[in-house]
Amino acid sequence: MTAAGHDLEQRLISLLQDSATDNPLHQPLAELWQAHQDLVYRLERITRISDAYQSLAKEREVSLVSRVDKQLRQLEKIVRISDRYQHMMRDLNIALQEAASHDVLTGLPNRRLLTERLREASELHRRYNRPFSLAMIDIDHFKSINDRFGHETGDSVIIEVARVLDAEVREQDTCGRWGGEEFLLLLPETDAQAAALLGERLRHAIEQLTIRHKDEPIRVTASIGIAGHADVSSYSETINHADNALLQAKRAGRNQCMAYTAARPIPS
Amino acid sequence: MIDLHIPATQSSPEIHSEHAQGRLVLRGDSYPENSYELFNQVFEWIEGFLAGQPRRALNLELHLLYLNTSSIKAMMEIFDLLQAAHDRQHPISVSWFYDARNERVAELAEEFKEDCSFPFDILVMERSTP
Repeated sequence: MTAAGHDLEQRLISLLQDSATDNPLHQPLAELWQAHQDLVYRLERITRISDAYQSLAKEREVSLVSRVDKQLRQLEKIVRISDRYQHMMRDLNIALQEAASHDVLTGLPNRRLLTERLREASELHRRYNRPFSLAMIDIDHFKSINDRFGHETGDSVIIEVARVLDAEVREQDTCGRWGGEEFLLLLPETDAQAAALLGERLRHAIEQLTIRHKDEPIRVTASIGIAGHADVSSYSETINHADNALLQAKRAGRNQCMAYTAARPIPS
Repeated sequence: MIDLHIPATQSSPEIHSEHAQGRLVLRGDSYPENSYELFNQVFEWIEGFLAGQPRRALNLELHLLYLNTSSIKAMMEIFDLLQAAHDRQHPISVSWFYDARNERVAELAEEFKEDCSFPFDILVMERSTP
């Protein structure tokens, strides 16, 4: 309220108190004064309510912002943790896949992975006539190594032979553990003749290998059977052919690499 | 107060509570279809335990491996609940066990631990407990 406004109010109040009530202006002035008072009261009330609403809205906004902030932080954390869990699962999955497809002792592909690769190779052969060969490798007299030096040494022999084979084969070849002391080599884009050369190299490399048992050196040899995948045969037939050639190598005195020939059946 | 004895399923952890001992155990993988339904029972049990008089210590024992996103959210809410209780001076502790062969579970437990000021131990187990 301004000073002039205040002064007017004071004058009106004293006028209404002092002047005779017979003045015709007295009654309307009294009513006007009352109406004015009511309006002032109402205005103050509206202002109070409006202010209260405003501060309430302000408070709500502040608490809403802090809630949203908290939820955002929580969400970011959930996302971060969830991502890490997924990462962990992915790595476990890879490890599981590796375990399912590789031999525990040697780390070479196992029979399952070899079979998968064989299926792929024979499919490539069927569709595009791409050649491939197999080499079946068996450590000679392995049972007597085991009997004489024990299983642990037998295992080291297998590990060492596996290491030599893995080092000797080419990038595109798959060298896996087929069974106990038996390894299978899958040689893509290789005919039986080239495979026989590689087989001979492997035989030689194994022959050069020395494994120490305590202070005693152990020498091992291996017999190898080679077979090229022929037009009409399934891969299991080619495995049989390689097995037959291996048997021949064994019969010929072991430490040999022999290729399968259809014309020369295995003498029984 | 009724204790929880929820057996593990392929996708949900075993949930086991011992009101008398103030012990709650969650064990296994957690990727349930309806995690709200599953964890709601846990919230209710914890809230009931914390409301009990006289106040008794609560130990949450975790042997959790994989958690899906909604289970992570539920676990964070459980830890929030425990943090609030701890702030009211309610004795709270968490022991998170992990297999020595899977160190990454420990790293994830660390992430959960980050915002908690109550005792939160991350413990290696050489073998899984019976």
